[in-house]
Amino acid sequence: MNKTALRMENSHAGAVCILSIGGRIDSGNAAELLDRLNGLLSSGEKTILLDLKEVLYLTSAAFRVLLVATDEAERNAARVVLCGLAGQVRELFEMGGLLDAFTVHGSREDALARL
Amino acid sequence: MPLPQTTHIVIRNDVAQLAAVTSAMERVGAEHGVPEKSLFQLQISLDEMVSNVIKYAWPEGGAHDIEIRITAWHDRVEVEIIDDGQMFDPRKAPKRDKPLPGQRPQLGGVGVQMTMHLVDTIDYARIGNHNHTTLTKLCAVSPAVSGREKI
Repeated sequence: MNKTALRMENSHAGAVCILSIGGRIDSGNAAELLDRLNGLLSSGEKTILLDLKEVLYLTSAAFRVLLVATDEAERNAARVVLCGLAGQVRELFEMGGLLDAFTVHGSREDALARL
Repeated sequence: MPLPQTTHIVIRNDVAQLAAVTSAMERVGAEHGVPEKSLFQLQISLDEMVSNVIKYAWPEGGAHDIEIRITAWHDRVEVEIIDDGQMFDPRKAPKRDKPLPGQRPQLGGVGVQMTMHLVDTIDYARIGNHNHTTLTKLCAVSPAVSGREKI
Protein backbone atom coordinates (compact mmCIF):
# COMPACT_ATOMS: atom_id res chain seq x y z
CA MET A 1 0.00 0.00 0.00
CA ASN A 2 1.09 3.46 -0.91
CA LYS A 3 2.17 5.61 2.03
CA THR A 4 -0.12 8.50 1.13
CA ALA A 5 -3.28 6.33 0.97
CA LEU A 6 -6.00 7.33 3.44
CA ARG A 7 -5.93 5.29 6.66
CA MET A 8 -8.63 5.42 9.34
CA GLU A 9 -8.76 3.61 12.63
CA ASN A 10 -11.14 4.12 15.53
CA SER A 11 -10.74 3.35 19.21
CA HIS A 12 -12.29 4.49 22.47
CA ALA A 13 -11.03 6.36 25.51
CA GLY A 14 -13.92 6.27 27.96
CA ALA A 15 -16.90 7.86 26.21
CA VAL A 16 -14.73 9.50 23.56
CA CYS A 17 -14.51 7.84 20.18
CA ILE A 18 -11.09 8.54 18.67
CA LEU A 19 -10.76 8.36 14.90
CA SER A 20 -7.10 8.43 13.86
CA ILE A 21 -6.48 9.49 10.30
CA GLY A 22 -3.31 9.00 8.29
CA GLY A 23 -2.16 9.63 4.74
CA ARG A 24 -3.84 12.15 2.47
CA ILE A 25 -7.41 13.45 2.38
CA ASP A 26 -8.38 14.70 -1.08
CA SER A 27 -11.28 14.85 -3.53
CA GLY A 28 -10.74 11.21 -4.44
CA ASN A 29 -11.17 9.79 -0.93
CA ALA A 30 -12.97 12.44 1.17
CA ALA A 31 -16.26 10.55 0.77
CA GLU A 32 -14.73 7.58 2.64
CA LEU A 33 -14.01 9.84 5.61
CA LEU A 34 -17.52 11.27 5.53
CA ASP A 35 -19.01 7.76 5.42
CA ARG A 36 -16.92 6.74 8.43
CA LEU A 37 -17.90 9.83 10.43
CA ASN A 38 -21.58 9.47 9.55
CA GLY A 39 -21.41 5.81 10.54
CA LEU A 40 -19.97 6.69 13.95
CA LEU A 41 -22.61 9.38 14.49
CA SER A 42 -25.47 7.12 13.48
CA SER A 43 -24.19 4.38 15.76
CA GLY A 44 -24.72 6.84 18.61
CA GLU A 45 -21.23 8.22 19.29
CA LYS A 46 -21.58 11.58 21.03
CA THR A 47 -17.98 12.78 21.12
CA ILE A 48 -15.73 12.04 18.17
CA LEU A 49 -12.10 13.11 18.45
CA LEU A 50 -10.49 13.24 15.05
CA ASP A 51 -6.73 12.85 15.44
CA LEU A 52 -5.04 14.26 12.33
CA LYS A 53 -1.47 13.74 13.54
CA GLU A 54 -0.58 11.24 10.81
CA VAL A 55 -2.19 13.20 7.98
CA LEU A 56 0.37 14.09 5.29
CA TYR A 57 -1.75 16.65 3.49
CA LEU A 58 -5.36 17.54 2.86
CA THR A 59 -7.36 19.53 0.33
CA SER A 60 -10.51 21.64 0.64
CA ALA A 61 -12.48 18.41 0.12
CA ALA A 62 -11.45 17.53 3.69
CA PHE A 63 -12.73 20.88 4.98
CA ARG A 64 -16.06 20.23 3.27
CA VAL A 65 -16.35 16.81 4.96
CA LEU A 66 -15.44 18.25 8.37
CA LEU A 67 -18.02 21.02 8.07
CA VAL A 68 -20.72 18.58 6.96
CA ALA A 69 -19.84 16.17 9.79
CA THR A 70 -19.80 18.99 12.36
CA ASP A 71 -23.31 20.02 11.27
CA GLU A 72 -24.51 16.42 11.32
CA ALA A 73 -23.07 15.99 14.81
CA GLU A 74 -24.96 19.07 16.02
CA ARG A 75 -28.20 17.63 14.71
CA ASN A 76 -27.48 14.48 16.75
CA ALA A 77 -26.55 16.40 19.92
CA ALA A 78 -23.01 15.18 19.37
CA ARG A 79 -19.72 16.88 18.58
CA VAL A 80 -16.69 16.43 16.36
CA VAL A 81 -13.44 17.78 17.78
CA LEU A 82 -10.01 17.90 16.12
CA CYS A 83 -6.51 17.35 17.47
CA GLY A 84 -3.00 16.65 16.23
CA LEU A 85 -2.86 19.43 13.63
CA ALA A 86 0.84 19.86 13.06
CA GLY A 87 3.14 21.55 10.58
CA GLN A 88 1.83 21.60 7.05
CA VAL A 89 -1.67 20.40 8.02
CA ARG A 90 -2.12 23.29 10.45
CA GLU A 91 -0.81 25.68 7.78
CA LEU A 92 -3.42 24.37 5.36
CA PHE A 93 -6.23 25.04 7.85
CA GLU A 94 -4.84 28.56 8.30
CA MET A 95 -4.51 29.05 4.55
CA GLY A 96 -8.12 28.07 4.05
CA GLY A 97 -9.15 30.43 6.87
CA LEU A 98 -10.75 27.47 8.62
CA LEU A 99 -8.86 27.07 11.87
CA ASP A 100 -11.59 28.99 13.72
CA ALA A 101 -14.39 26.96 12.17
CA PHE A 102 -13.68 23.89 14.31
CA THR A 103 -12.97 23.00 17.90
CA VAL A 104 -9.24 22.26 17.83
CA HIS A 105 -7.09 20.89 20.66
CA GLY A 106 -3.30 20.35 20.64
CA SER A 107 -2.31 16.73 21.16
CA ARG A 108 -4.61 13.77 21.70
CA GLU A 109 -3.69 13.85 25.40
CA ASP A 110 -4.61 17.56 25.64
CA ALA A 111 -7.92 16.84 23.97
CA LEU A 112 -8.79 13.86 26.16
CA ALA A 113 -7.99 15.89 29.28
CA ARG A 114 -10.56 18.46 28.22
CA LEU A 115 -13.34 16.25 26.87
CA MET B 1 16.58 11.01 -19.45
CA PRO B 2 17.31 14.73 -19.96
CA LEU B 3 14.97 17.38 -18.65
CA PRO B 4 12.45 18.71 -19.38
CA GLN B 5 10.39 15.57 -19.26
CA THR B 6 6.61 15.60 -19.67
CA THR B 7 4.06 13.14 -18.34
CA HIS B 8 0.73 13.32 -20.06
CA ILE B 9 -2.60 12.03 -18.76
CA VAL B 10 -6.21 12.40 -19.91
CA ILE B 11 -9.13 11.76 -17.57
CA ARG B 12 -12.90 12.05 -17.80
CA ASN B 13 -14.74 14.72 -15.78
CA ASP B 14 -15.45 12.26 -12.99
CA VAL B 15 -14.13 12.73 -9.46
CA ALA B 16 -13.35 8.99 -9.30
CA GLN B 17 -10.65 9.57 -11.93
CA LEU B 18 -8.72 12.03 -9.78
CA ALA B 19 -6.83 9.10 -8.24
CA ALA B 20 -5.13 8.55 -11.62
CA VAL B 21 -3.94 12.18 -11.57
CA THR B 22 -2.61 11.79 -8.01
CA SER B 23 -0.74 8.61 -9.01
CA ALA B 24 0.78 10.29 -12.08
CA MET B 25 2.03 13.18 -9.94
CA GLU B 26 3.42 10.73 -7.37
CA ARG B 27 5.34 8.92 -10.10
CA VAL B 28 6.83 12.17 -11.40
CA GLY B 29 7.77 13.16 -7.85
CA ALA B 30 9.47 9.83 -7.17
CA GLU B 31 11.28 9.70 -10.51
CA HIS B 32 12.71 13.17 -10.16
CA GLY B 33 13.31 13.31 -6.42
CA VAL B 34 10.90 16.23 -5.96
CA PRO B 35 11.11 17.29 -2.29
CA GLU B 36 8.19 15.87 -0.34
CA LYS B 37 6.76 19.20 0.78
CA SER B 38 6.80 20.55 -2.79
CA LEU B 39 5.22 17.34 -4.05
CA PHE B 40 2.40 17.54 -1.50
CA GLN B 41 1.83 21.21 -2.38
CA LEU B 42 1.60 20.24 -6.05
CA GLN B 43 -0.79 17.39 -5.23
CA ILE B 44 -3.08 19.69 -3.26
CA SER B 45 -3.05 22.36 -6.00
CA LEU B 46 -3.69 19.82 -8.74
CA ASP B 47 -6.57 18.27 -6.77
CA GLU B 48 -8.12 21.70 -6.16
CA MET B 49 -7.88 22.89 -9.75
CA VAL B 50 -8.93 19.64 -11.44
CA SER B 51 -11.84 19.07 -9.04
CA ASN B 52 -12.96 22.66 -9.78
CA VAL B 53 -12.95 21.85 -13.48
CA ILE B 54 -14.93 18.65 -12.86
CA LYS B 55 -17.51 20.48 -10.72
CA TYR B 56 -17.95 23.75 -12.61
CA ALA B 57 -16.59 23.69 -16.17
CA TRP B 58 -19.61 22.06 -17.80
CA PRO B 59 -22.87 23.24 -16.24
CA GLU B 60 -24.76 21.35 -18.97
CA GLY B 61 -23.14 18.07 -17.83
CA GLY B 62 -22.07 15.30 -20.18
CA ALA B 63 -18.80 13.42 -20.49
CA HIS B 64 -15.71 15.51 -21.22
CA ASP B 65 -11.96 15.01 -21.24
CA ILE B 66 -9.47 16.88 -19.06
CA GLU B 67 -5.86 16.79 -20.15
CA ILE B 68 -3.03 17.16 -17.65
CA ARG B 69 0.63 17.64 -18.59
CA ILE B 70 3.20 17.48 -15.83
CA THR B 71 6.63 18.75 -16.89
CA ALA B 72 9.74 18.37 -14.75
CA TRP B 73 12.33 21.10 -15.38
CA HIS B 74 15.66 21.44 -13.55
CA ASP B 75 14.33 24.02 -11.14
CA ARG B 76 10.57 23.60 -11.24
CA VAL B 77 7.56 21.42 -11.94
CA GLU B 78 4.88 22.78 -14.26
CA VAL B 79 1.39 21.36 -14.39
CA GLU B 80 -0.87 22.35 -17.27
CA ILE B 81 -4.58 21.55 -17.06
CA ILE B 82 -6.53 21.77 -20.31
CA ASP B 83 -10.32 21.57 -20.60
CA ASP B 84 -12.97 22.69 -23.09
CA GLY B 85 -15.38 23.92 -20.42
CA GLN B 86 -16.62 27.45 -19.87
CA MET B 87 -13.96 30.11 -19.56
CA PHE B 88 -12.48 30.36 -16.07
CA ASP B 89 -9.38 32.34 -15.20
CA PRO B 90 -8.44 31.31 -11.64
CA ARG B 91 -6.32 34.46 -11.24
CA LYS B 92 -9.53 36.48 -11.48
CA ALA B 93 -11.57 34.34 -9.10
CA PRO B 94 -13.40 36.52 -6.56
CA LYS B 95 -11.75 36.84 -3.16
CA ARG B 96 -13.49 35.04 -0.34
CA ASP B 97 -15.15 37.08 2.38
CA LYS B 98 -14.22 36.33 5.95
CA PRO B 99 -17.21 34.77 7.72
CA LEU B 100 -18.89 36.97 10.31
CA PRO B 101 -18.43 35.84 13.91
CA GLY B 102 -20.64 32.87 14.64
CA GLN B 103 -21.27 32.23 10.95
CA ARG B 104 -20.27 29.02 9.19
CA PRO B 105 -17.50 29.68 6.66
CA GLN B 106 -18.42 29.22 3.00
CA LEU B 107 -16.04 27.03 1.07
CA GLY B 108 -16.53 28.56 -2.40
CA GLY B 109 -13.14 29.76 -3.64
CA VAL B 110 -11.12 28.15 -0.86
CA GLY B 111 -9.38 25.75 -3.27
CA VAL B 112 -8.19 28.54 -5.55
CA GLN B 113 -7.10 30.59 -2.53
CA MET B 114 -5.03 27.69 -1.19
CA THR B 115 -3.53 27.00 -4.61
CA MET B 116 -2.37 30.62 -4.87
CA HIS B 117 -0.47 30.12 -1.62
CA LEU B 118 0.93 26.71 -2.53
CA VAL B 119 2.43 27.26 -5.98
CA ASP B 120 4.74 30.01 -7.21
CA THR B 121 2.68 31.11 -10.20
CA ILE B 122 -0.67 30.41 -11.80
CA ASP B 123 -0.90 31.23 -15.50
CA TYR B 124 -3.98 31.09 -17.62
CA ALA B 125 -4.77 31.30 -21.33
CA ARG B 126 -7.94 30.73 -23.33
CA ILE B 127 -6.81 29.12 -26.56
CA GLY B 128 -9.59 28.38 -29.04
CA ASN B 129 -12.35 26.99 -26.87
CA HIS B 130 -9.99 25.55 -24.25
CA ASN B 131 -8.87 26.71 -20.83
CA HIS B 132 -5.13 26.23 -20.25
CA THR B 133 -4.29 26.68 -16.57
CA THR B 134 -0.61 26.28 -15.69
CA LEU B 135 0.68 25.91 -12.14
CA THR B 136 4.40 26.34 -11.52
CA LYS B 137 6.19 25.17 -8.40
CA LEU B 138 9.86 26.09 -8.01
CA CYS B 139 11.81 23.21 -6.46
CA ALA B 140 14.91 21.08 -6.94
CA VAL B 141 14.34 18.45 -9.62
CA SER B 142 16.83 15.76 -10.60
CA PRO B 143 17.03 14.34 -14.12
CA ALA B 144 17.09 10.86 -12.62
CA VAL B 145 16.30 7.60 -12.36
CA SER B 146 13.02 5.90 -11.98
CA GLY B 147 12.41 3.84 -8.89
CA ARG B 148 14.54 6.03 -6.63
CA GLU B 149 12.53 6.84 -3.50
CA LYS B 150 9.36 4.94 -4.31
CA ILE B 151 6.31 6.38 -2.61
